[in-house]
Amino acid sequence: MKKVKMSENKLASSLLRGLKALRQPALATVFGLFVGALVILACGESPFPVYKEMFTKSFIQPFYLFSTLTRATPIIICAMATAMAWRAGYINIGVEGQMIAGSFAATAAALYIPGPPVLVAILAWLIGMIVGALYALIPAILNWKYQVTMVITTLMLNYVANYITSYFVTYPLKDPSGDGLSLQTVQLSKEMWLPRLSTTSTFNAGFIVAIAVVVFMLFITKRTVFGYESKMGGFNPSFARYGGAKQVKVMLVTMALSGAIASLGGMTEVFGLKYRFADGMLTTPSYAWTGLMAALIADLNPVGMLVVSIFLSGLQIGGSAIQRSMGIPLEIATIIQCCITLFVSVKLVIRFKKHKKGNKSGIVSSQEGKEVSEA
Amino acid sequence: MNSAYIASILNSTLRSTTPILLAALGSAICSRVGVFNIALEAQMLIGSFFSIVVNYFTGSVLLSVMAGMLAGSLVGLIVAILQVKYKAADMVIGTSLNLLVNGATSFLLYLIFGLRGRLVDNRLVSLSKINLPLIKDIPFLGRVLENLTIIDYLAYVIAILLFIYLFKTVSGFRTLSVGISKEAAESLGTKGTRVQMRMVVLSGALCGLGGTVLSMGQVTMFTENMTSGRGFIAMAAASLGQNHPIITIVSSLFFGLCQGIGLALQNVIKSQLTMTLPYIATIVALVVFSRRSMKSKKAAKLEKM
Repeated sequence: MKKVKMSENKLASSLLRGLKALRQPALATVFGLFVGALVILACGESPFPVYKEMFTKSFIQPFYLFSTLTRATPIIICAMATAMAWRAGYINIGVEGQMIAGSFAATAAALYIPGPPVLVAILAWLIGMIVGALYALIPAILNWKYQVTMVITTLMLNYVANYITSYFVTYPLKDPSGDGLSLQTVQLSKEMWLPRLSTTSTFNAGFIVAIAVVVFMLFITKRTVFGYESKMGGFNPSFARYGGAKQVKVMLVTMALSGAIASLGGMTEVFGLKYRFADGMLTTPSYAWTGLMAALIADLNPVGMLVVSIFLSGLQIGGSAIQRSMGIPLEIATIIQCCITLFVSVKLVIRFKKHKKGNKSGIVSSQEGKEVSEA
Repeated sequence: MNSAYIASILNSTLRSTTPILLAALGSAICSRVGVFNIALEAQMLIGSFFSIVVNYFTGSVLLSVMAGMLAGSLVGLIVAILQVKYKAADMVIGTSLNLLVNGATSFLLYLIFGLRGRLVDNRLVSLSKINLPLIKDIPFLGRVLENLTIIDYLAYVIAILLFIYLFKTVSGFRTLSVGISKEAAESLGTKGTRVQMRMVVLSGALCGLGGTVLSMGQVTMFTENMTSGRGFIAMAAASLGQNHPIITIVSSLFFGLCQGIGLALQNVIKSQLTMTLPYIATIVALVVFSRRSMKSKKAAKLEKM
């Protein structure tokens, strides 16, 4: 009897905590939409019809809702990849590069390894994850061995991955049957495609992969020793520093997982939507950066990131709808997103001022974090 | 490889160095006062954009340069207020500002000009090119210094002025002391937070000037996200230059050289591959120099023992 009561209390308190955690992002969202409204006014349109159109054509009409969820798939996965590293204090802003490297490797493997398609596809996904992990290990190892700050290296590697894959799809792996202008590989064989979950839209099983990643993330962070150790690294840098060799292992595994998850984001896009690798297909929609923003807005909470990712994806889908019908540039979505992030960071400030104890959020300021450059 | 070829590489090295050097100086002064500013990219890009906007509507080079610097400083001011005054997490502020400016410039490009991607117009006036008398007739050197803009020279003057300010004036020492220990500096009456904020705004102005060179120097146009990571390369340059203005000149020249070589190699190797050069060079340089500094630190420790 007592036990039941306790668990009820626990449930109530965790719900309360969840609501409290939602309060600030919700407030920030209102502010973000307010700034967006000002921008819309500046464009000479009135905000309410624009927002109505934007939300109707992103969440309410089923066709658009499916588009929103399809676009959210890589964003959710990128948010998880970002959070994996950031919660441990490793500022990985190279999710984009890891995603490109991993999914390009997977595409190449799927196209050129002979064998039964389903087996090849499974192998290709594995290869993609390994390449993504290795690509994330480069900055991790450089940080460990030479104290090179990850903020710079991970970002530099984004450009490297983007240009190198661009080279491959422009020259050696270019689809010769195309019009000559589209820089892309040939199409994957149909057996490898992820199944569609809706008959009327492109919504596909990639979304299930994304949900699985969220569950995996929840499991890792809440239920495993590794999740705890990894978090402690970000929480208390000196703990990490004195942790020694073990801490190095935790860091390498954290970054490898981050990269492997990132590559999944690209692979759902290749195998679920485009069925080939095309130049700029992952950078133009800026999936990785939207995921990063979702992670920041949700303060690295997995379920929160899932919700925020879908919301941001909806803003973008709605943004392109109003660009078509009302002539307002779709970048309005980016502006609203960034304002939400900035307002959320102001929330962290208020919390900081209240406690005067330091940043209590999951995000470690890199000054407190352990991988700030020595120079 | 003949000397004309080398001279042309050095020429494009000097041109590519300027934006990096200016932003690196901005990064250096922030680091010197203990602020980790990663919104350099945003400060540059907004400078590139607004200098071109003002250029388009006024046709005045001077006003354009000032607009670029002002826009950069305004972004710097946001960093100063949120990050320094209210102590928000630097990574959050930096990344969201970088993304915000990227989105906002594309948005405004469409709104003001109805264009996507880039703005090229023959109404745009570029920075006037200088060919020094006498020197332009010297065979090799004349080619190296051919068609540079005034800001290409100004960048080095700014570096030297910053060096003099930081290391040779009382006010400069006070500024440096904030970076070493804010509490100690404040106990002696220096307003630490205000000094930090001032330096961040100044870094915004420097980056804005760097952005202006990017859009009005070699080429006269604005392209979406035209800074393409230069803010971060500048961070690397400042960190390799130990945040010292004069050494930062050297490290910035190195990154400029990488871009210059990358451009020159485009005739031989596919451009997609040569374009990776500056980014790979940044990583390699960070590794090489950190290992060296670690070795020398170890050596110093051994000597003490």
